Amino acid sequence: MSRTRHGSFILLRRLRRPLLALICIYATSVLGFTLIPGTTPEGEPWHMSFLHAFYFVSFLGTTIGLGEIPYPFTDAQRLWATASIYGTVVAWLYGIGALFSVLQDPMFRRISHETGVERAVRRLREPFYLICGYDDTGYRVAREFTEDGTRVVVLDIEPARVDSADVDDHVVQVLGLVGDASDPTALTIAGLTHPHCAAVIALTGSDTINTKVALTARLLNSDLPVICVARDHAWHPRIAAAGADHIINPFDTFAERVAISIRTPSLQVIYEALTTQAGTAAAAVQQVPRGRWVLCGWGPFSRALRRQLRELQIEVFVVALDLDDSFDAQNSLRADPTDAAALRRADIEHADTVVAGTSVDIDNLAIVLAARKLNKRLFIIARQTQRRNAAMFQAAPADLVMQSSYVVAAEVLRDLRAPLLSAFLSRARDEDEVWAAALLQRLRDSVGSDVLESWSVCIDAASIPAVYDALASGENVVLGRLLTRVDGSPHALRALPLMLLRGKDYTALPGLDERVQVGDHVLFCGRALARSRMRSMALTRGLAPQAAPETTATGPMSAKG
Amino acid sequence: MTPERVLFAFIIVLALTLNVGFTVGDISNPEHHNRYELFGAIVVSLVATVMKFGDRSPLGSTMLATSLVADLQLIAAAACWGLYAGFGTELSPGQMATVVSLAIGALVANVISVVLLIIEVANLRR
Repeated sequence: MSRTRHGSFILLRRLRRPLLALICIYATSVLGFTLIPGTTPEGEPWHMSFLHAFYFVSFLGTTIGLGEIPYPFTDAQRLWATASIYGTVVAWLYGIGALFSVLQDPMFRRISHETGVERAVRRLREPFYLICGYDDTGYRVAREFTEDGTRVVVLDIEPARVDSADVDDHVVQVLGLVGDASDPTALTIAGLTHPHCAAVIALTGSDTINTKVALTARLLNSDLPVICVARDHAWHPRIAAAGADHIINPFDTFAERVAISIRTPSLQVIYEALTTQAGTAAAAVQQVPRGRWVLCGWGPFSRALRRQLRELQIEVFVVALDLDDSFDAQNSLRADPTDAAALRRADIEHADTVVAGTSVDIDNLAIVLAARKLNKRLFIIARQTQRRNAAMFQAAPADLVMQSSYVVAAEVLRDLRAPLLSAFLSRARDEDEVWAAALLQRLRDSVGSDVLESWSVCIDAASIPAVYDALASGENVVLGRLLTRVDGSPHALRALPLMLLRGKDYTALPGLDERVQVGDHVLFCGRALARSRMRSMALTRGLAPQAAPETTATGPMSAKG
Repeated sequence: MTPERVLFAFIIVLALTLNVGFTVGDISNPEHHNRYELFGAIVVSLVATVMKFGDRSPLGSTMLATSLVADLQLIAAAACWGLYAGFGTELSPGQMATVVSLAIGALVANVISVVLLIIEVANLRR
């Protein structure tokens, strides 16, 4: 049962009185003209017909006077015409005034907005993503999807943020609904139960609301993938129970990445190159120091970092005002971390890394500046909470800026665009630095130093018919052949298969001589150009001849494609 | 009992009675059909339509629909009359029959309207 009412019915109900007034005044005026006797120019008595009377009254109210028709009026008729002018003009003003006040009415506007969005969503005939919460994270995710030409529906309780979806430079029009994401009706209007809804992404600032979104999606559309952001660990079990497919915790994700940087720096470069737009495989391996860490500010962010650092047996010191009794004086200090004296007492001169991790941007910037003044060699990590402060954080002497909207957006996009990549990265996490360094070198050799993209290909009739046909006719197709250019060029596509999914078996870094089978999913990474070449190859049904020498080579490919 | 409900029922029944008053008599005899009565029927029918606006119950929307049908038929009858009279002659029996038969169509819609009104009232009592 939809809450949306038809705006026009509300309009009509509100206009009941003015319409009644208009009908009554028109009826009286028309009746008067047909009853009051007139005279023809020849002096014959004459009664106006209803047609003439209605015609005269109609133009009387709106224009006052196209003349007296069909004959000049008698005095009695003129008297009635005068009265009618005042009556009809007042009735029109009343009616038009009421019409405008209804059109301006906030409730009417909200209902017509909802009706309009509901209709637009219902008309969508292509897959779309439903994003709940349109702040920094929502904007980033929506922009990435629209750049791919994917439709996005945005739901946010703040009208200003929904309006900004119209103003923001999205390539494809983004449908925005002003509504409460914890209200199932608003979610339904925004397309939660739409057959083309591809996933719902709960990115609101409140874990409670995100949980409610996950729960609503599970109950109303049980097949729908749900991605849910939670900042507080207390909500994870509830969201998991609600059946969210992915729970993204920006603090956990960031802390994990920090741990990877310390343990396997090469993997961190691959990670960056694969998950962000700016990262390249050629980036220098950034050394996050292992030494003593000082965490400023206590909350979910610091807690997640401390857990990861302790697993790596790194000494952690916490400075915060609101520490509870579980902290001992040996590795914590109850003081205001923005105060340089407190930082000095935390022995920041002998620390290697300081994390400005409070939830207030100006506090974090103050910590960064104070810490840099005290220790020039410090590795400084700053947490940024608001996107608009980006320029200040760039100018600040911090080595690494953690922005949760950025972390979340990257995670969401990876989960939705390349689920295989998530599987690959979670396996890579268990490997050591030797393995990661070898892979990084291989990427640099075969793909080059450009920005990496990753994409997955499913070997079936719909997405890559050429290979499917070849396999169906009994031919053997190896992975390397997918990277061979159709036009006979000796240079292979600048791409590398990262992962092969066959049934439920994952193979990391499959060889180029690996034979593909129908139903395989292959994750490639490489240059954007290689991706589009592979896509056009799939569409044009072209496939390179079998015997090209490069295709069977397992070594580094020629990298001039 | 509220004045609004009395007025509502009054208008709906009045729309029917005026309509009946206009249509009774020999269908083709202009003497039997008063143009003021048709005018009154149109005005009351329009008022009844506006009073039914915005009622979203199933019964209410059906009542609005019947009212719209009555308006359409009555206005068509008046328009025919106005056009035929525009030739400056009395209406022929055939032309009069057209006007009255259109009004009879409206009469059916008005009867349905009143029946729906009675059903609604009967449901309220229970």
